[in-house]
Amino acid sequence: MKKLLQIALGVLTAIGGFVDIGDFVTSAVVGARFGMSLAWAILVGTLGIVVYAEMSGRVAALTKRAVFDVVRERLGVRFAMANLFSAYFINLLTLTAELAGVAIAIELATSVNYLLWVPIVGLVVWLVVWKLPFEVMENAFGMLGLCLLVFIIALWQLGPDWSGMLDHASHPTVPQGEGHPTWWYYAIGLFGAAMTPYEVFFFSSGAVEERWGRQDLITNRLNVFVGFPLGAAISLSIMACSALVLGPLHVEVSHVSQVGLPIALALGKLGVAAMLVGFFAATFGASLETLLSAGYTFAQYFGWTWGKAASRPREASRFQTVLLISLFAAMALALTTIDPVKVTEYSVVLSAAALPLTYFPILVIANDRGYMGDKANGWFSNTIATGYLVIIVAVTLVTLPLMIATKAGM
Amino acid sequence: MADQILYAGRQLLDRQIATSEGRSVGKVDDLEIDLDQPGGPVVAALLTGQIALGARFRGRLSVWVTSIAQRLRASGDLEPRRLDIRLVSSVAATVTLRVPHGDLPPADLEAWLAEHFIGRIPGA
Repeated sequence: MKKLLQIALGVLTAIGGFVDIGDFVTSAVVGARFGMSLAWAILVGTLGIVVYAEMSGRVAALTKRAVFDVVRERLGVRFAMANLFSAYFINLLTLTAELAGVAIAIELATSVNYLLWVPIVGLVVWLVVWKLPFEVMENAFGMLGLCLLVFIIALWQLGPDWSGMLDHASHPTVPQGEGHPTWWYYAIGLFGAAMTPYEVFFFSSGAVEERWGRQDLITNRLNVFVGFPLGAAISLSIMACSALVLGPLHVEVSHVSQVGLPIALALGKLGVAAMLVGFFAATFGASLETLLSAGYTFAQYFGWTWGKAASRPREASRFQTVLLISLFAAMALALTTIDPVKVTEYSVVLSAAALPLTYFPILVIANDRGYMGDKANGWFSNTIATGYLVIIVAVTLVTLPLMIATKAGM
Repeated sequence: MADQILYAGRQLLDRQIATSEGRSVGKVDDLEIDLDQPGGPVVAALLTGQIALGARFRGRLSVWVTSIAQRLRASGDLEPRRLDIRLVSSVAATVTLRVPHGDLPPADLEAWLAEHFIGRIPGA
């Protein structure tokens, strides 16, 4: 019974944890601008993260090693260093966006400018990673993040023409007045938002921290196969709400508050309150995850002590130093009054461009029978995973040219 | 350990080193090979830490990685941190040592940061 509860908790956390500011903003921006014509990109990205997160969890359970540890072993010291810097930079951008997201949620509730909240949010985030029992916080924020399910209820209330919407989503065409390059650029953004590398860094490091073993493979599968797709359902409903309400009004989403307009229309104040709580929890949880991921990548590349292996922070002083520097850098970047929506858009697109260096080593090691024994990849996961590797390499090649050609989706 | 056949480049280099109770020591950043053994060259020691790592890069990156490490050395010497191969108890996904954490000298950067920065924050 206790085991069951634990599994349920994991799944619920995965649902709430899947959606962060990247999914939130990108889905809404795209919904308002392109309707449901890019819904497929969320589905493609979600299947991709499901396949690779499952592998990274399985590798962590059997070898007790997290993703970045594996990256260095399989890519070699130089390529892994290149990956370390690109992953760290993207992580920092994502952290900036998440911190700003938390601050904006508080601004929307209090009407006090978000820039004033950024330092306070930063301090609280740091206190959580410094001293508080982390699992409790992770579960609490995962559960509160479920408030974002309000988007599904709102969609229901808005009473869309379901079959028309499904038809639109399954026969994607580029809307009039939009260019093909821009459409593809946003497809990459949605793909990147779903497959952000920090998710596997964090997921696999968590598995190592919780000392997963063979018996936890079922928990791994349930978290990933049930939790992530349900999380993606939230992203899809944000997109659909945005397409229904903001699209016809030609609203160009440039502020987080606009994402909540459909909720206000369908459900009124209580709905908006639930959305704010969900958005706050999702971005706060993601701030913790991205911050820790910044530390994990460095510690796992250099072989430092990280996480619970140190009973006191000073025993992992290098790891803690990276956390502090990263948090200050992200806070400073947010305080330059840089547009959080723009930072989010850049971070998801750049994530997409950097995927192969992280996902290729996971695939290689999940096939290593010396490590994985009978739990190595079967032909089925290998077919899908290899297909995705081809996709992410293609995405990497076209992202930067597309970004330049479309002036980042203008 | 003695009769295991290992491909040093693939199965030792870049692996995580852990103490007997599972604490991280560092990565196998380089290897010290003894060429004078009668049966052919043998691995004499694992080298770990930034000085050993820096030597594996080329150009400015190498200088940069090594010089940070060098500055933190009290003695200022350039010898990498060395773990005798006899300390190793098993080589698998992780290279495990026979000794506990307390028996090894701490890494330079860890010790420096613990004393001058992280250790000064309340609750550390």
